[in-house]
Amino acid sequence: MPVDSADVVVIGGGISGLSSAWFLARAGREVVVVDKGMVGGEASGRNGGMVSERVDEPLLIPMAVEATELWTTLHEELGHPTEFVQEGRLQVAVTEEEMGSLFAERDEALRHGLLAELVDPAEIRDMIPGITERTLGGLFFANGGHANTQLTVQAYAWALQDLGGRLYQNTTVTGLRVVDDKVTSVETTAGDIAADVVVGAAGPQTGLMADLVGVHVPVAPARVEILATAPVEPRFPIALVGNGLYGHQAVSGNLIFGGGAHEWTEVDLITSPGKPNTPLIRNIARRLAELLPGAADAPVIRSWAGVVEQAPDYRPIIDILDHPSNYIVVTASAHGFGISPATGKVVSDLVLYGETNIDISGLGLNRFADYGPDWREKRGWTPAPLRY
Amino acid sequence: MESRPLVVVGAGMSGTAAAIEAARSGVRVTLIDENPIPASMAALNVPQFFGQRFNAELQDRALMLERVVAANDALAEAEAAGVDVQLGTCVWGAFRNSDTSRVLDGPQLGLADQDRSWLIKYDRLIVAAGARDLGLAFAGWDQAGAVGARGAQRLLESYQALTSRRMVILGSGDLGLCTAHQALDSGIDIAAVVDVSAAVRGDETSSLALREAGVRVYTSHAVKQAVGSEGEIESVVLVAIDDAGEPVAGSETVVAADTVCLAIGLVPNVELLSLLGCDLRFESDLGGYVPVHDGWMQTSVEGVYVAGDVAGCNEDVTHSGEIARNQGRLAGIAAAESLGAIDRDAALARRRDLPADVGSPTRSENHASWTRWSQALVSAGGPGLLACQCEQVTCAELIDLEPPRYLQWESDPEGARGLRTLATNASVNPDQVKRLTRAGMGHCQGRLCREQVALLLAEESGTDITDMPLMSYRPPVRPLPLRVMWPHDEPEQVRSEWPKWFSPTHRVLG
Repeated sequence: MPVDSADVVVIGGGISGLSSAWFLARAGREVVVVDKGMVGGEASGRNGGMVSERVDEPLLIPMAVEATELWTTLHEELGHPTEFVQEGRLQVAVTEEEMGSLFAERDEALRHGLLAELVDPAEIRDMIPGITERTLGGLFFANGGHANTQLTVQAYAWALQDLGGRLYQNTTVTGLRVVDDKVTSVETTAGDIAADVVVGAAGPQTGLMADLVGVHVPVAPARVEILATAPVEPRFPIALVGNGLYGHQAVSGNLIFGGGAHEWTEVDLITSPGKPNTPLIRNIARRLAELLPGAADAPVIRSWAGVVEQAPDYRPIIDILDHPSNYIVVTASAHGFGISPATGKVVSDLVLYGETNIDISGLGLNRFADYGPDWREKRGWTPAPLRY
Repeated sequence: MESRPLVVVGAGMSGTAAAIEAARSGVRVTLIDENPIPASMAALNVPQFFGQRFNAELQDRALMLERVVAANDALAEAEAAGVDVQLGTCVWGAFRNSDTSRVLDGPQLGLADQDRSWLIKYDRLIVAAGARDLGLAFAGWDQAGAVGARGAQRLLESYQALTSRRMVILGSGDLGLCTAHQALDSGIDIAAVVDVSAAVRGDETSSLALREAGVRVYTSHAVKQAVGSEGEIESVVLVAIDDAGEPVAGSETVVAADTVCLAIGLVPNVELLSLLGCDLRFESDLGGYVPVHDGWMQTSVEGVYVAGDVAGCNEDVTHSGEIARNQGRLAGIAAAESLGAIDRDAALARRRDLPADVGSPTRSENHASWTRWSQALVSAGGPGLLACQCEQVTCAELIDLEPPRYLQWESDPEGARGLRTLATNASVNPDQVKRLTRAGMGHCQGRLCREQVALLLAEESGTDITDMPLMSYRPPVRPLPLRVMWPHDEPEQVRSEWPKWFSPTHRVLG
């Protein structure tokens, strides 16, 4: 006997799963979210908090534009704060090569109708006090911004609960029961939960979860690192990308910046991946001090490492499986936080209507039809051997 | 990168004993201690609760170094034994490979002085990082003059830079009594020793001696408020506490004092052990989360040993260095044996010189007494007490999970927000609460507030304190300016191969 049942069971209490769950609950659906840990306990609650329209992944632009629009009133809709700040996103160039690509990105942005303009070093210094004199120029996206990651994840979770949605934290999915080409229940450590539709938003475990229904979803988990300083003055509200880093100054004044080499890794369905930092945080600290010399005396007070997943082309996958036909795969390739409101809307549309008016062409699973189980080895995306 | 056979972190009694023992066995030992610490770090209440009660001499590095050496006789003995002693050097990070991180070619420590940071490799590590003071909030504790016992002792005995004239001591256990004697010996007046319990908890002889010296002891009392002006404590309002732990109206006593010293409990400094992934177990008798270790002081991580207060401590062990020194010697013997410097028989022979129960300090309950203190202080001071000084989070805001004050957010009182909806199917996780309220997110990384946060959350959510997860520690475990953390040893390759975002390399470089 199932312990619970719902119209939709969402696997994964990260940003994509919770956003999907909340949009569905708001549309009147009975929703249950299951997570093996706490909501936002992995990358969703501990990333750079960037919200941006950008052009390095052109196929994502429709989702990003939709998300940016939704972010502006999200906290009011949810009834809980997200700490969203929409004062723009600035990409600065410190080399001639980077400057060249800024021109190209500006042209691309204008082709897509985005609000983007080139700014010169003097304008950059006005926008970001304490920034290096070494910038050659920048590209400013007026609609960009940033938000507080854990507040936002929790805002979705509480808003879902406000609408009667149910949350099973510290509950591990152990199996998916398929009958007549449909997942009929999600088997968990808390018991079976019957479902009409299942949304698999399992982050780095997305591939392993899809394996349970015999479908291959190529995603590779990777570990990335970020650091935070104590609050510094003067403040800047603009999200900033440059000198090999991405990040922002939180409303609390802390600088939160990440970047640098990632590391391919493995995860499993049961345990939470380890979160070890490496000495890379020193290299990040250097690049931050180079980028913002005015903040060089700011103490680093913490850092974090987390696991994100990547599809082979660095883009999200959002799709309804052919078989079983009531399972929706959602995985964001580390774009998840910024586009989350759009992700929720798209998934909700797919569940309710089987289609969405947001352009997600190019995010389907069929683009990886040729990828076999050994794709990570072929690509060189496998973990390094354990050396000691 | 330099590589050392054995690194000992902490040059207190246990660490120094460990270093000497291993060095006499023929091991090349590096003994690292962060004292004297930079004045800028002391101002942030790291690593102890110094409460701004230090003078400008703390900025004189040479003078402080001289005093730190003079205050620790065992350092000279260690140097004579051939130990490489590095003072004024903090260990801010400990890195090793695991399932999700495989890029290092050996375990490493992140080190720093005032000006720069560097990395070293080690074969064996002994963590003798000691303990810190339990922080419990009272009204006015964010003013200069609220200090911890270990912080005050450090300033008094090692740095000779404590600027206290008249002190109120909270806690009548051995830690409080011992601190009172030390202060008296240094010419500091003790205005009061205060405890919520009905009787003095510590050594009777010691407490009698204090009374004979004219020290007033207030049992069944707590602090209602530390009153000050311009951010400096000037007097303390004490209030009687009834059997239910509630303040008795009209029982206030005002005591003139410029310092309030928290001497209620000690907490093992497990930051580095946590970073290394050593198994930690909650043992109230030993001060909270302590490392699991075998009969030879080795933790669950091979090659990593512990000794002294970090392995578990309580007030009973504070006045005797015997246990700490013996644990240090045992860890030194074990590390020397595992490095092949001595054989098994020699290790066993040396071990026989030590008491059989060397690995186990006496045990005495901690958290029930801490809870009584916390409840009394909150009852007396009100829910507006600042639980987290760094981020200005009150006890009420903490348990109501209020969003940070700077957001000026009015929550719907009918809404789901609350501990009950936060912790479905699990105990409340202090990390989750930290990210929502910011309690524990400041400069001191929760050193001052994490125990009280756990006590309050446990009480409010009906969770047994033993089931409360440890609020996580992240590197750097010391607040390091960006310019100090800056890797001057960074290879050019790091710059040339630094990725823009994801790029197909799995390497983490230098």
